[in-house]
Amino acid sequence: MIRFENVSKVYPRSSRPALSDISLEIERGEFVFVVGSSGSGKSTLLRLVLKEEGVTQGAVLVAGQEVGRLPQRKVPRLRREIGTVFQDFRLLPNKTVYQNVAFALQVLGRSRHAIRQVVPETLEMVGLDGKEKRLPHELSGGEQQRVAIARAFVNKPPILLCDEPTGNLDPTTSLDIVRLLDRINRTGTTIVMATHDDDIVDQLRKRVVELKNGHIIRDENKGVYGSGR
Amino acid sequence: MRLQFMLSEIWTGLRRNLSIAVSVMLVTTVSLYLLGLGLLLQREVDTLKGFWYDRIQVSIFMCGDDSAEPNCAGRGVTDEQRTALKDQLDQMKPLVKNVYFESEQQAYDRFQEQFRNSPLASSIRVGDIPQSYRVQLSDPTKYDVVVSAFQGAPGVGRVQDQQKTLDKLFTVMNGVTVASLGLAFIMIICAVLLMATTIRQAAFTRRRETGIMKLVGASNLTIRLPFVMEIVLATLVGVGASVGLLYATIHYLTGYVARELPDVAIVGAGDVWVVAPTLAAIMLIIAIVTSWATLRRYLRV
Ligand SMILES: Nc1ncnc2c1ncn2[C@@H]1O[C@H](COP(=O)(O)OP(=O)(O)OP(=O)(O)O)[C@@H](O)[C@H]1O
Ligand SMILES: [Mg+2]
Repeated sequence: MIRFENVSKVYPRSSRPALSDISLEIERGEFVFVVGSSGSGKSTLLRLVLKEEGVTQGAVLVAGQEVGRLPQRKVPRLRREIGTVFQDFRLLPNKTVYQNVAFALQVLGRSRHAIRQVVPETLEMVGLDGKEKRLPHELSGGEQQRVAIARAFVNKPPILLCDEPTGNLDPTTSLDIVRLLDRINRTGTTIVMATHDDDIVDQLRKRVVELKNGHIIRDENKGVYGSGR
Repeated sequence: MRLQFMLSEIWTGLRRNLSIAVSVMLVTTVSLYLLGLGLLLQREVDTLKGFWYDRIQVSIFMCGDDSAEPNCAGRGVTDEQRTALKDQLDQMKPLVKNVYFESEQQAYDRFQEQFRNSPLASSIRVGDIPQSYRVQLSDPTKYDVVVSAFQGAPGVGRVQDQQKTLDKLFTVMNGVTVASLGLAFIMIICAVLLMATTIRQAAFTRRRETGIMKLVGASNLTIRLPFVMEIVLATLVGVGASVGLLYATIHYLTGYVARELPDVAIVGAGDVWVVAPTLAAIMLIIAIVTSWATLRRYLRV
């Protein structure tokens, strides 16, 4: 589903590569934790998949398509196949929960009929039914992250990228959020989650890819957080 | 993107940025008003040319009993001299199309009529304006032929051609046109800069929305169109306001001229409708090009 072939990334005005010679294959329906200390290149890895940044060397393939070869006007189509969740939620503060989720479909030109059907379903799935009319500041951090996940998933993308989605949450709430992601994963969605959270990685026992200074130093199934501790 | 959603986005954007949208509108109004005035003035020059070239005349003023012209030597024109002038004019057909004789009394009456609202009228007596032949030419540009033929002829005080006076008037009008077009140009530059700043600021205040739109895979057009449409809407309001102002100006002026100078042709409200599409097209193209170029620069995808 996602493949890195000898990928290096050097940011302009930076001497050290953020990623160097990364090769990685993530299968359809997998759940992968990307771990590593701060600055090891986790976010960079996710940005390359979204073509928010271009590779310096090598190739990134998403669903068999080489992202680097994609012309700019086809980038939106790539991003429709990928949901994204961030540490800081990125909700629109003056839109309600419902409107925040609906926004993702409205800007893709979906019909109102379709939106009225699929938004409540998604909100129910993430456990937010009954809170549709609330504004983001009337929600707890965990609830806000559920809204963000609902927004990322409402279009049913085959891939979900999460960059430290639990970074701002307490351990219990974090675990709830990751359980939610696990449920989404079981619907067949490929999930790549960058995280610092050792408890969560140790509890879920999924595939773990560890980065250090832009290199992959470990890639194991049913792994634990390991050396970063 | 669905129309209704798009309209609501544009409306929200305009409300959030109302003061700056109003300033775009005002700058558009003023620049188009000046541009419109320039264009209308040019049309007026054309109208006047057509109008006056039809009735342009060379006036051959004959000597009066107390003319100060050196050629008269203090003697009035004799009947023989007057007949000789008439014969000479008749021989100059077809360049000379028509000849009218205006007596001292007729000249006095015409002056009184033209300047009835002015204190000048009462300062003139019969005989102050000498009798004259009014010569209409088939080709008004060849007035020189007539002027040189009669200048200094016996009994002729002065030959006056209106072309010269008109040329002066047209020079003034052309000057005003250039000035108003110059000001319009400066104002249009202001409009362009203001539109660019507006877009930049809007792109900045809405970076969260546009960021999310990019992430969920909205097309470039969907992301950018609301910004462009906001500027286009403000521009359209400005176009409407400037056309309204031009209409009011012309309406007022036509009324004034009709009262004060009844025999002068002037552009009418109809001419405003003729220049309006040009104004709208110019400004819309400027608005769309400016906002799209600014978005390409400040709203990267
Ligand atoms: N836009 C950028 N320009 C230049 N250098 C960058 C940029 N973004 C990241 N870097 C550098 O690239 C390296 C990897 O950054 P990245 O954000 O991928 O790390 P990370 O693993 O996500 O860290 P964290 O856990 O703190 O989020 C760092 O050395 C960082 O300084
Ligand atoms: Mg990061």
